[in-house]
Amino acid sequence: MSHAKKAAIFNKDEARTDWHDASLWMVRKKRDFAVSEIPEWEYLREFASDIKSHTLSKLDEYLVAFEKAAKQNGAIVHWAADAKEHNDIVLSILNRHNAKKMVKSKSMLTEECQLNDFLANHQIEVIDSDLGERIIQMLDEPPSHIVLPAIHLKKEEIGELFHKELHTEKGATDPQYLTEAARHHLREKFHTAQVALTGVNFGVAETGEVVVCTNEGNADMGVHLTPIQIHSMGIEKLIPRRSDLAVFTRLLARSATGQPITVFTSHHRKPKKEGEMHIILVDNGRTTQLGKPDFRNSLKCIRCGACMNTCPIYRRSGGHSYESTIPGPIGSILTPGIDLKKYGNLPFASTLCGSCTDVCPVKIDIHDQLYKWRQIVSEAGLPEGGNKTLMGMLGSGLAAPRFFHRLGNLGRKMLRLFPGNERLLSFTIWTRERNLPKAPVESFREWYKKQAKNEQ
Amino acid sequence: MSSRDRILSHIKANKPNPWPLPDVPVFESSSPDKKKLFIQILERGGSKVGCVDEINQIGRVVSSIFPERKRTLSTLGNVENTENITSLDPEFYEGTDITIVEGVLGVAENGAIWITEKELEGIRVLPFITQHLVMVVSEKSLVGTMHEAYKVLGRPDSEFGVFIAGPSKTADIEQSLVIGAQGARSLLVILTP
Repeated sequence: MSHAKKAAIFNKDEARTDWHDASLWMVRKKRDFAVSEIPEWEYLREFASDIKSHTLSKLDEYLVAFEKAAKQNGAIVHWAADAKEHNDIVLSILNRHNAKKMVKSKSMLTEECQLNDFLANHQIEVIDSDLGERIIQMLDEPPSHIVLPAIHLKKEEIGELFHKELHTEKGATDPQYLTEAARHHLREKFHTAQVALTGVNFGVAETGEVVVCTNEGNADMGVHLTPIQIHSMGIEKLIPRRSDLAVFTRLLARSATGQPITVFTSHHRKPKKEGEMHIILVDNGRTTQLGKPDFRNSLKCIRCGACMNTCPIYRRSGGHSYESTIPGPIGSILTPGIDLKKYGNLPFASTLCGSCTDVCPVKIDIHDQLYKWRQIVSEAGLPEGGNKTLMGMLGSGLAAPRFFHRLGNLGRKMLRLFPGNERLLSFTIWTRERNLPKAPVESFREWYKKQAKNEQ
Repeated sequence: MSSRDRILSHIKANKPNPWPLPDVPVFESSSPDKKKLFIQILERGGSKVGCVDEINQIGRVVSSIFPERKRTLSTLGNVENTENITSLDPEFYEGTDITIVEGVLGVAENGAIWITEKELEGIRVLPFITQHLVMVVSEKSLVGTMHEAYKVLGRPDSEFGVFIAGPSKTADIEQSLVIGAQGARSLLVILTP
């Protein structure tokens, strides 16, 4: 189903749509406050963008340098060309250690690779340990936001779910109480799992470190309590120098939730004693995106979610309407490159207002790329590209002044004959929720002609 | 061809023209009082802050904030009524009420405190698994921004290091802030001269 259709369904519950809109706008406002505390904010964005541009221009060299440093640290580095290879690598590590239970902290990459389903099919229990992720895992839903995975759910729904799954009191909805229940549930899991997997926010080429930013402490609980740690990392997460982390840690949390920094910024360099540290470098379409000059900037994304929080379409349609792992404006420019037919409708889920571009901490030209994807979708002849015949007719009409004049006359006459009968035009989306204007007595052209006569 | 070679050759074929790596200046904090800002930001993020003149006052501050404290571990040898780290068994730490550790440096602009495996006596999970965390930081170690912090830290000298900027927290249920998610339920920062 297209985004527009899913969004229409989402909007049927007006009160809930308003609530969703307001929740995200609150996060956007927090971001604005946090940003206002840093006078050099705009310079930081520029530096971040340039560091990423530089890294992408030498990505092969930096990956090799990162691999070398990580190996020197004692980590085991794997390369995965696609999602399947990534999942196979994870499974082989689990199998080698005869592990049946894995705790996972938030990782959009493993969502992208559909790792949970894959491992479930191989009788591996995967426990998502971020609270929001655990909630949606229990509901068997995908995340609706990359930073706030359960932002679409009400506390009553979560209370009901926890009553069923964790035996909390029936009708209990207090977030403090529900979080406490999840804490006990998850702490038990951390002690019994054999392997922990995390995503990666930044990989530092010069030191071979992987940096993971979290608030709940779940990633560290998992990694440090299990002997085997796995870090799944998209190849675009690299940065050249350790000092570059200063730029990105200052930008990330302020953009994401309005915090000055995430509670935990963990730098994993070496495996623990008698433990193993695996790093899986994943391509899965990224090198293809790198080859598209108009769209390669999307690879700079640091997954803060600011573009979602500010987007009027995202806020009023919800993350699930996008039906892609990464929703919102950034998802709408990342996914058409993966499957144009399936995701070609997403670049149209935008007003092109440019707010996403304004808040992006790494200065991705998101709304320009949305516009460019629209051209590609139209050229590919996909239905989302608009009705070509109608557009062609409109084009020739506008190019012929006399015909246009006659058409205008006819239009005004029709409006006078069928006033308010906008249902006549309900075949276009535009008029479905808009009334047609009152027909003016005369056109500008007619008025102008009269003025010219009067002056003589 | 291995996936490694395939990925690398794809990048070689597809990568953009060279782009210079910028020299990022070490931006300093615009606040004249680093200590004041550090305390203010920590408290805003839900942490408590205490100041002492001498190390031997730490035990008293901790007791005043946790009057009924039970099992307290400490990596600082000279704190009254605390145990030293003696076991590597996770169960040993799970039952810990309070853990006192010494941070390497504090960052004023975000209240983050750097600590590594060394200060944690090899127990990486320590600051996460404890019910309550106490971090002792010297005022002299405070820097203004993350740029200054990484400049001081330089190249890594530890297997694991982490910036901790508050108690573990979540807002995953309806954006309501809950302090005490999977990690420590509270953070008390004690500033020493």
